[in-house]
Amino acid sequence: MKPSIGWSMALIALWLSGCASVSTDPREGGLAGGIKGLSTGAYDARIQEREDRLAVLRQVQGELETEREDLEYTKAQRQRKVAAERARVRRMNRDIAALNRRVDSLSASANRNDQRVRTLRTRVPQIQSQSARLQSDLDALEGSGLGDSEADLRRAQLEQQRASLQAEYDLLNQMSLDLAR
Amino acid sequence: MTRHRTRAVRTLAFLAACAFALTAGGAGVPLDEIRQVLREQALTAPAESRLHDLDAANLAIGLQAIDPAARYFPRALYRSPNQGRDAMSGIGAELLPSGDDLWLLPFQGGAAATAGLTDRARLRTVDGRSIADLSLDEIAQRLRGAEGSRIVVGVEDATGGARRLTIERRSFRPLDVELVQPGAHRILRVREFVAGLTRPALLATVDFIENTATHQPEHAPLILDLRDATGGDLFEALDIAALFLPEGAHLATLVARGGVTKTLRAPAGTDLEQPLILLIGPGTASAAEILAGILRDHGRARLVGQTTYGKCDSQTDVRLSDGSVLRFTNRAVRLPSGEHCSGVGVAPDLSVDTATLNDLSRLVPRAIGAAHVR
Repeated sequence: MKPSIGWSMALIALWLSGCASVSTDPREGGLAGGIKGLSTGAYDARIQEREDRLAVLRQVQGELETEREDLEYTKAQRQRKVAAERARVRRMNRDIAALNRRVDSLSASANRNDQRVRTLRTRVPQIQSQSARLQSDLDALEGSGLGDSEADLRRAQLEQQRASLQAEYDLLNQMSLDLAR
Repeated sequence: MTRHRTRAVRTLAFLAACAFALTAGGAGVPLDEIRQVLREQALTAPAESRLHDLDAANLAIGLQAIDPAARYFPRALYRSPNQGRDAMSGIGAELLPSGDDLWLLPFQGGAAATAGLTDRARLRTVDGRSIADLSLDEIAQRLRGAEGSRIVVGVEDATGGARRLTIERRSFRPLDVELVQPGAHRILRVREFVAGLTRPALLATVDFIENTATHQPEHAPLILDLRDATGGDLFEALDIAALFLPEGAHLATLVARGGVTKTLRAPAGTDLEQPLILLIGPGTASAAEILAGILRDHGRARLVGQTTYGKCDSQTDVRLSDGSVLRFTNRAVRLPSGEHCSGVGVAPDLSVDTATLNDLSRLVPRAIGAAHVR
């Protein structure tokens, strides 16, 4: 008998040592672990823990979703700004072309040696070509990855340059109208 | 690289010769008109004998004997300096011969910068071949290629660190004002002054820095890199100087033929109040060094680097009856101090050695440190 008791003791010892490492999660611990988990209340704790983690994940997911929506909104806003700039530059291009024609007629008139006519003859074709360049840059920007730093800087520069050229066009246009009177 | 420089000069001379050859042995060059323009409008009235000696076959030499900055452009070869940089297809970098070295200067957002070259570096190899025995033309030729093609360049940065970069050539238009960040500080880099474009681009970039700054220290200086600014439109540079000065501040005095002067003052408008540091060097020329000199004279900027190129004159482009263009000097520019920098340059407040000048990551901390000590 002694040998038989000895083996039983050894098996119990092994069984207990196995228990010591069994998870309290009933799905992981097998039957014995599951019984132990249920009987000690650890199972409820585990469910609560899972629910808490799920709530956190849902919150993070919600925040990410809001952030994504913000980014998309910002990107859409940027795209709208670029589209608006393109429309402004197109209008400016038409205005400058008309001014250029007026300057041509002024150049043929008796005023052709006036310093203001010379300024118009020099600068109007330049701003015409600069404006065309802005148009092409804005066209290229519309399909680009707005939101990255370089594209945003480029857009900011183009907006400011358009505003500056527009102000210069207004001055030159006024000058040409004064000369035409 | 002295050899490269010599070859560059030879190449330019060769190209100029080709340009004149296009005008069919001089038959197409309006020499009388050129003589008349120079006679009436050049800053210094040329000797009649010099004007008489002008001939189409040696026009470049004849013009330079009258005015070192004078150039003649046949109609097909003229490009207004006020057009800005065209879109380019390639590696997105400029080549700059300097001393014994050939430097690659990357544009922000260009192919070279995308491949990891964010600051200037010495070019050593192209596709595994050393450039030591290649002419500047041959090197430029090897660097050029179709959009989408690749090239491997071996470069050495200012501290001697060597590396190889694979660059895929692509189409690209440089920003009018670049914003680079070699360390904690962002630097505004201007390479040329284009009428009507550079000032608004600079303003937009300053706003961009303010709107996107995360840990920008209070009273952080604005750092403007003019090391590679070779000039451009004088009035654009003056308009930029005016951004940093109060209304009515003396910007410069233009001196025309016969000593006729015109004093230019800052108009009312935007005032940028940030402390200002300008990075300058031997490559800083013309409009760029005039800008540096004005802001130095008003105590508005601290200049860091090396003495500038030394050309404080202004040229004008006159279109001739056949559509060709004559460029010549028509004004001398005096800084607010009365100084005329031609042949002398504008000296920095803080001088640095060439190795530091070529390395933004070392130059900027030196510049900022010196600004704080001040």
